[in-house]
Amino acid sequence: MFDLLQRYRRHILACGLILAALLFYSANLRSSGASTFFERSVLAVTAPLLSGLDAIWSSAADSWTHYLWLIDAAAENDRLLEETRNLKADLVAVQEVSLANERLRRLLDFKEELAMPTLPAQVIGEDASSWFRTVVINKGSEDGIAEGMPVVVAEGAVGRTIRVAARQSRVLLITDASSAVAALVQKNRTRGVCRGEGDSLTLDFALRLKEIEVGDLIVSSGTGGVFPKGLAIGHVEAVSRGDFGLFQSVTVTPTVDFSRLEEVLVLLRLPQVDEAI
Amino acid sequence: MRLLFYALFGLFGLILQATLLPRMVPFHFKPGLLLILVVYLGLSEKAGTGAPLAYLFGLLFDVFTGAEPGRYGLLFLLVYFSVRATVGFFDSENPFLLLFLVACGTLLESSLLVFLDLIFASGRLWPIVLRALVPQLLANVVAATALLLVVTWLQRRFPRLRVPGMQRLDERYES
Repeated sequence: MFDLLQRYRRHILACGLILAALLFYSANLRSSGASTFFERSVLAVTAPLLSGLDAIWSSAADSWTHYLWLIDAAAENDRLLEETRNLKADLVAVQEVSLANERLRRLLDFKEELAMPTLPAQVIGEDASSWFRTVVINKGSEDGIAEGMPVVVAEGAVGRTIRVAARQSRVLLITDASSAVAALVQKNRTRGVCRGEGDSLTLDFALRLKEIEVGDLIVSSGTGGVFPKGLAIGHVEAVSRGDFGLFQSVTVTPTVDFSRLEEVLVLLRLPQVDEAI
Repeated sequence: MRLLFYALFGLFGLILQATLLPRMVPFHFKPGLLLILVVYLGLSEKAGTGAPLAYLFGLLFDVFTGAEPGRYGLLFLLVYFSVRATVGFFDSENPFLLLFLVACGTLLESSLLVFLDLIFASGRLWPIVLRALVPQLLANVVAATALLLVVTWLQRRFPRLRVPGMQRLDERYES
């Protein structure tokens, strides 16, 4: 027996390690609501790096734009070029400020509409893998954020916080495969559940007999306990009704452009019921 | 020194994947730098060092991806042991071995991801994985090729540098 153990020691150790990893994973599945000490520490340690790289990237992109202008300018009259370049730079800077102003104003208007405590935050990182849809924001528990809080922009629902460190949080987007939002069709109040499909959404459990058309707005129903009622989720892109069955298949395009997510609002309210999105 | 190299490369890859790569690479196809590192660990490190490192990298990766802690810990561990178990069947002098194993590792990681999602989670991940599998595989192989070129260049440029595996990589891939 001892010889057998000795002979297959490596295999037994490997299996033991894999089994331990599996047990750790499955144990976390049951209690995935709270951030662990390990996660909070890693997020806290990497926060300055993420913010720094974000700033470096913005500055590098800005310098590259200016460099391209310089190449164009070589063919022009020096004086006019200098003037044009400066004017263009000023114009772009003004446009950038104007766009940021517009975005922030919309966010502010939206914040006033919401009539609940909110916290503005900036997106500083994205999911590290290609399969999941999460983003990292620059606010955390020190700012009053907890796990399960809804995150929104003026265009609609973004997601909910799933991991919170002192100054940084990770947000699970509504387009992630593990997200589901209780929703309804605004026009005729047909209820369903909006689930993430990566880049789009599907409205599940919408009764087949209910009339749903392309372009209809889908909003949160407020019954999921995370998002308040009436937040825009997306527009119906395609509807497919089979000859039989209880439900219809509805594809939804999110109202939020997740590839250009910069500033978001975190609604400082905890989930109302135990049901997660 | 060896462990420090792995730790630095792992952390650098992780930060790169979470910040710069999403902005530089379109359509969510970020090359899996940590997966490449885990495959490399499978090629060059014995289980005593490689397995805990692979698991640690997985746990770190979990902090920056998905919603379930421990998932990538398990995945990377399985990928590591799979590479370790099969590496004896291949010709280790072949310059395409790492690239081939990275491609296999990507397929294995995706399959295991879908399997775990079907068993433990929502079960809705497979369409996303299927849609993005081929571009992801290409992105990983291209990134592995680029890393190999950088590593062999470093080895030539700094011959006294004793970064783990670089000597071997130089001998294998430079010809």
